[in-house]
Amino acid sequence: MKGLYLVLMLFGSSVVYAHQPVMDMAPRWADGYGIQTRIEQFDSTTTTWVEGVYTFKPWVRMTFKLPHANGELGDLILGIPLKKYQNEGPKTSNWGITPSVKLPTGDQRDWDLGLSVSYSAETPSFYQFYDLYAWDDRVGLDINVGFAFPGKGSGMFALWDVSALTSDEGDRIQTGPVFVYFKKNFMFRAEHKTLVYERDSDWSGSYFSVAVGLVY
Amino acid sequence: MFNRINLLALLIALIATPALAQDYVIKVNGIVCEFCSLGVTKKISKLPFIDHSRYNKGVRVEIEDQMVTIAVKDTAVLDKEALFAAIESGGYNPVDIWQLTPEGERVDFQP
Repeated sequence: MKGLYLVLMLFGSSVVYAHQPVMDMAPRWADGYGIQTRIEQFDSTTTTWVEGVYTFKPWVRMTFKLPHANGELGDLILGIPLKKYQNEGPKTSNWGITPSVKLPTGDQRDWDLGLSVSYSAETPSFYQFYDLYAWDDRVGLDINVGFAFPGKGSGMFALWDVSALTSDEGDRIQTGPVFVYFKKNFMFRAEHKTLVYERDSDWSGSYFSVAVGLVY
Repeated sequence: MFNRINLLALLIALIATPALAQDYVIKVNGIVCEFCSLGVTKKISKLPFIDHSRYNKGVRVEIEDQMVTIAVKDTAVLDKEALFAAIESGGYNPVDIWQLTPEGERVDFQP
């Protein structure tokens, strides 16, 4: 049973592989840092993630992600997101590549390596994010597309998420809405995904997560 | 006596007249949301010549047209290279700069 929890802790979420704190977005500025906590529920397992980021320069960051579920601490994941930004008038976009390593700090005691390639673009009214990742025997694609609603000192995103994952243990596609709100240095993200396709896997049901983050 | 009164009046007028504010406007590519604004404001406000008493720590960002207005201390001189470097370290690209006249008109920046 414990083994199943540990597998679900890591397999249940594309967050492990595709997304970077804080909310894939901040901080972009040099010497900025941020922390976020994310609570996600998938297949009756609730996992709490503590994640952090430090931005050395706009093009290079260091991140960590640490999961905790059912009294068990998971393996620490470290990443080095490298980004190439392009700013053109009212549009900003970036290509990113993120090598990651999973350290055997939890009960699973596994070393692992991962790599993700991403692209995101944003205008005052539109946001898109694509992330293709590979980790051990898993390959996945995560897509967020939707609208941005800027305000004075705050803003919102209403996005649609599609996550696809294939591995030796099974394949699946999930999809659903994502809502992001931010005000000053605070960010909130909530998402709900429904399983629309699966093959040869024991997990089922929908995925739900809420996250709050702060950047400085 | 008359000269003394005139001199006193002149001194009072000089003290009472506020120094002309130095405002500059910078076109910055890529500023599309409030989080962009947060980083740029953070970096610019650390510059020694910025007047923190005006705008938001001396910086006003208009996302609609990607314009950043800065207030410079009346006793200081704007360092354009440092300003552009600060914006770039915030993750965005400055492309042009103008000085604002007291009437709010943009004129070419004179280094």
